Amino acid sequence: MSISGNYFAGVDVGSLAAKSVILKDGEIFATGLVPSGVNSVESGLSALNLALETAGLKKEDLIYIVGTGYGRVSAPYANKAVTEITCHAKGTNYLHPTVRTIIDMGGQDCKAIRIDPDGSVVDFAMNDKCAAGTGRFLEVMAGVFKVKLEDLGSIALSATDTVPMSSTCTVFAESETISLVARGERPENILNGIHHSIANRIAGLFSRVGIESDVFFSGGVAKNSGMKTAIEQALKVNIVKPEIDPQLIGALGAAVIARNFARKEGLWA
Amino acid sequence: MGLKTLEKITAALESRPAELEQLRKQGKKIVGWLAYNIPEEIIYALGLIPIRIGQGGDGRLVEVGARHISTKNCVFVRQVLGQFAEKTDPYIKQLDLVAIDATCIQLYRLEELINFYFDYNTVVLGVPRNFATKEGHEYFRKEVEFFTKKLELFAGVSLEQSRLEEAIKIYDGIREAIKTLYRYQSLDNSLLSWRQVASVINAGYNLDRERYLELLQELIQEVEANLSEESGTREVEARIFLSGSLIPPGDTKLIDIIEQLGGRIVGDDLWSGLNFFLNLNIKEPTPYGVADAYIDRVPHGSLPYLDLKSDGRLANLKHQIKEFKADGVVYHTLRYCDAFTFKAGETKDVLGNIPFLEIHTEYSGSDFEAIRTRVEAFIEMIKSKKEIAELV
Repeated sequence: MSISGNYFAGVDVGSLAAKSVILKDGEIFATGLVPSGVNSVESGLSALNLALETAGLKKEDLIYIVGTGYGRVSAPYANKAVTEITCHAKGTNYLHPTVRTIIDMGGQDCKAIRIDPDGSVVDFAMNDKCAAGTGRFLEVMAGVFKVKLEDLGSIALSATDTVPMSSTCTVFAESETISLVARGERPENILNGIHHSIANRIAGLFSRVGIESDVFFSGGVAKNSGMKTAIEQALKVNIVKPEIDPQLIGALGAAVIARNFARKEGLWA
Repeated sequence: MGLKTLEKITAALESRPAELEQLRKQGKKIVGWLAYNIPEEIIYALGLIPIRIGQGGDGRLVEVGARHISTKNCVFVRQVLGQFAEKTDPYIKQLDLVAIDATCIQLYRLEELINFYFDYNTVVLGVPRNFATKEGHEYFRKEVEFFTKKLELFAGVSLEQSRLEEAIKIYDGIREAIKTLYRYQSLDNSLLSWRQVASVINAGYNLDRERYLELLQELIQEVEANLSEESGTREVEARIFLSGSLIPPGDTKLIDIIEQLGGRIVGDDLWSGLNFFLNLNIKEPTPYGVADAYIDRVPHGSLPYLDLKSDGRLANLKHQIKEFKADGVVYHTLRYCDAFTFKAGETKDVLGNIPFLEIHTEYSGSDFEAIRTRVEAFIEMIKSKKEIAELV
């Protein structure tokens, strides 16, 4: 069977999930999302294979592949590696050209990114090396309350109060949460406090890079409605509604960059 | 092609500890010094051997040092303290006196701890916080005078003006040579890199100063003789300027990352780098003349801004960025190095539109990948800006 069209892929291997996006010419053609394992090469390949399977393509059909995320340093399947900061900028710009500010919250880090109308990064800041304000932090909190990670946001939104959370260190926040539960505070109010404490920390990152409308929220944590609301309140902004799963934005950006590289290298006109 | 004089400098450095051992047997005394405002010329003029001490980049030594101070103290100070605790460093174990200036308060405390815990003979040089006033100058003059008297007692000789004049001449020569090497490393057609110049600077703090000046002049001649006729043929590059906390010998993490990712360091305003050699003009060969020159040069980051608009450090930073045609600034802050950490945000705002990346780190490898991602994205950002019509 002959394949028509030009295909480019982006593979984003994060600490919690590996994602891939295949572009057919300029359109999103297929996606793949799998949990990350210990081996980042295998995780990336799993995500890529899932997207290829969905698309009915073989790896050889892809003109160019760009790897991103922390797994980019070990991605033999990719033609090039580009950082997730650049990829989130390009992916967001591809979908939402009016966006100038991006909040990206992934499994192990959080980024504040400002971009220009071309989707090029103007400035960025990242959280300190600890897990505060990341997907891993929320995962630990979901474990404390024995609820599903995906339910965390809606539970926080049902709160009648906000219990202040002073610790942003994952380890200390876990013990502080247990103390608050023992004190009789309601779980939804504690979770609301946790979301707001993370949002306030993110606001600190933006004091370094500035905010310009429109604002977009990418990464796995962007699926958390409670976090979206808390960030909107902390930054006093409205976040643009994503057109696709926001967790795929980095992989999408990598695919867009793959297309650009292919053009530059004369592999596609 | 490598530069032969660099090999000579490396060889001289390797044989220096044994040389010092011999000199000590002949009755010479070694003064280990640290920080920014110790007037080395005076040490040298008194026939003492000045050696700048302090290494970085070793997490194990940081832990050794932390047995004597809080883990919330500057990571460099902890490592130096660790070096004194272990006493295996070939220079530290041969010191007869340690001189530290009070420019940075944490380093000043280091002097007290070295004296208290490890029984080293120490001397401290006070530095005024308000260095621009008449009173500040007067205070520093008196401090340098007092420092000189202490050293005279220690050396058993008086400071002779002719010896000080000779010393100033040698040090002026070294300063000029380092500035020349910095100019050459920033050119596209030079064989010399910033990293090599940094190594040359660090080597010089241990070598005999007269011999060092000869080597520097030889190196300049060799670099000049090997300037390529072609220039500007490199691909789009990210020219990085380093600012912030010191990067002492042994601490190569950030430098390695920048270079591995294709960035090219072209300049710095580090007190462990170029700043030390800038704008130091001793007009009168006396302790007062030396004091005035030291206090009037580019201020150390530990000293306060007296006037943000006319601050010498910021003015110098802006000038050097332009001079070295840098595309972006990597502002390096060491954990618990308060002076530079406090000033990071302000420095970014004062510099305005130039891409600016703050890297906060310490002497462990745990943040290697996190720094790598930040630096890589920064270099992508610069390159993308430079080749705007092309990719990424």
